[in-house]
Amino acid sequence: MSAKYAIEASDLTKYYGSFLAVDHISFQVEPGEVFGFLGPNGAGKTTTTRMLTGVSIPSDGRATIQGYDVHRQSVQAKALMGIVPDTSNVYEELSAWDNLTFTGQLYGMTKADRERRATELLERFQLAERRHEKLDGYSRGMKRRVCIAMALINRSSILFLDEPTAGLDVQSVVTIRNLIRHLNEEGLTVFLTTHNMEEASQMCDRIAIINHGRIAAIDTPERLKRTAEGLQSVEVAFDTPPRTTVDDLTAIADVSEVRKQGDKFRLYTDNPPRVLAAVWAYATTRGLQLITVNTLGPSLEDVFVTLTGIREEPRTDDPKGRRGRSQGRGGQ
Amino acid sequence: MDRGRLRREAKVAWAIALKDMKIYYLKAPSLMFGILFPFSLFLSFVIGRNLPIAQAIPVLVAQTIFFAASSIGPVSIPLERRLQTFDRFLSAPVSLLTVLLGKTLAGFIYGIGIASIPVALGVAVFDSHLTDLTAFAAGMTLSAFGFAAMGIMFASLPGQGPGQVMMPLNFVRIPLLFVSGVYMPIRDLPAWGQVASAASPLTHAIELIRLGLGGENFFGPTINLAVLAAYVVAFLLAGMRFHVINQTRE
Repeated sequence: MSAKYAIEASDLTKYYGSFLAVDHISFQVEPGEVFGFLGPNGAGKTTTTRMLTGVSIPSDGRATIQGYDVHRQSVQAKALMGIVPDTSNVYEELSAWDNLTFTGQLYGMTKADRERRATELLERFQLAERRHEKLDGYSRGMKRRVCIAMALINRSSILFLDEPTAGLDVQSVVTIRNLIRHLNEEGLTVFLTTHNMEEASQMCDRIAIINHGRIAAIDTPERLKRTAEGLQSVEVAFDTPPRTTVDDLTAIADVSEVRKQGDKFRLYTDNPPRVLAAVWAYATTRGLQLITVNTLGPSLEDVFVTLTGIREEPRTDDPKGRRGRSQGRGGQ
Repeated sequence: MDRGRLRREAKVAWAIALKDMKIYYLKAPSLMFGILFPFSLFLSFVIGRNLPIAQAIPVLVAQTIFFAASSIGPVSIPLERRLQTFDRFLSAPVSLLTVLLGKTLAGFIYGIGIASIPVALGVAVFDSHLTDLTAFAAGMTLSAFGFAAMGIMFASLPGQGPGQVMMPLNFVRIPLLFVSGVYMPIRDLPAWGQVASAASPLTHAIELIRLGLGGENFFGPTINLAVLAAYVVAFLLAGMRFHVINQTRE
């Protein structure tokens, strides 16, 4: 079946008892796209993924995978996808080899085909040398790689990844991200659920932000950032900043908010050049030495925080809207 | 369902059974509830009673199949649901029935394997005789399959750990011992006891196995077979229904 979309959710809804976890959401994912699915804890990300992959039955609405209804044509739909859930659901009592070949059996692959594919994946994921060891001796990063390899055993065309790099060391994170990039370059559609804004910004062609079970926005990362132009900022660091620095900087015209981030101060503004000039004047007047000056556009995290209501967007035209550091980080 | 699909689903069911054998046969709850429990019950039943061992062998065989076959599902499914490995089956291109049949098969083989020990001992050491091989084979097969499916049904109830599933399962398994002709012949039971006995799958397992080993039969082999077959279907359908309910709720 040729279908326009790799994944399509139409009016997808999930109730847990009387609690509405996912509220009639609809979106489409194009073939070959890396689609990010972002949201705070409890927003409905994993529930949505579970409905899209057939693990959970929706209360209402439908999901299709390359045109196949996940519940009415489940065998055809499920044959096209690979799934990496938020926890590495591998069989720890079995070896990497047995985990992969067993998954191949679930997908109806012939013995020769699943063994060839398992060999190929174990080499690609740098697990070949330890393929006959039980997974209970593997590190968390290695188990994650086995889990991703299991999701690819059937040469799926759509890969669902739920927090693939959560809790992993930097080396494993880099390895897994590179792997996802390469897989996408080979034509795989990726549905990526993540908390990591940097990851989403770097890897996704489009992003959906879900909050309280509803889609708050869907767009490319750069377009999403442009929706928050008021969240441009100037980042500065002084050699020996006085205790009053946050208040002093907040008093600068055009600064809507100041946040202290480590030894740096981030000044939110819609007019970075004027603020830069004012900061320079402030440093000169106080005899402070500026050691870092950066102008920053709105980050995906800024957009996420604004859309999910974790922090209100600074109101640049209202002096009463100015907030100091204690206000800006509340609730995170 | 076409033949190719049927063959593919059968292969998947067998793969699931093999995987469960590797992982769960030697887990502590499988050994405790599947082996230790029935043998202990049997010993407490025969020790101090002047009962010929050959006469007690059918009881031990049926009781062993009953406990062993019904213990694998309640160990594997709750663990797999907790570790989310069960989600692998739900997201794989196979039917739920295939998954449950694979798991039932693992219980079936465990039950047959463990029960073969008292059968072999009975024949080799205690002078038991296989007088009706058909009844014996049918009794062993259907009861192992039925009890494995019963375990799957209980394991499919919402519950997260093997202990939580074993409790309601034992709540049913142990009373069944008292109405199934294990401790008292069915003909000696009161009328209500005989009705309860007729409804118990364990009764029909014991009856067929006893018939196969040259003992008496109260309800008749046809009824025994029909009731056991009906239970196999009912347990599997109920297990499937519970999983669909779980998928709707979770």
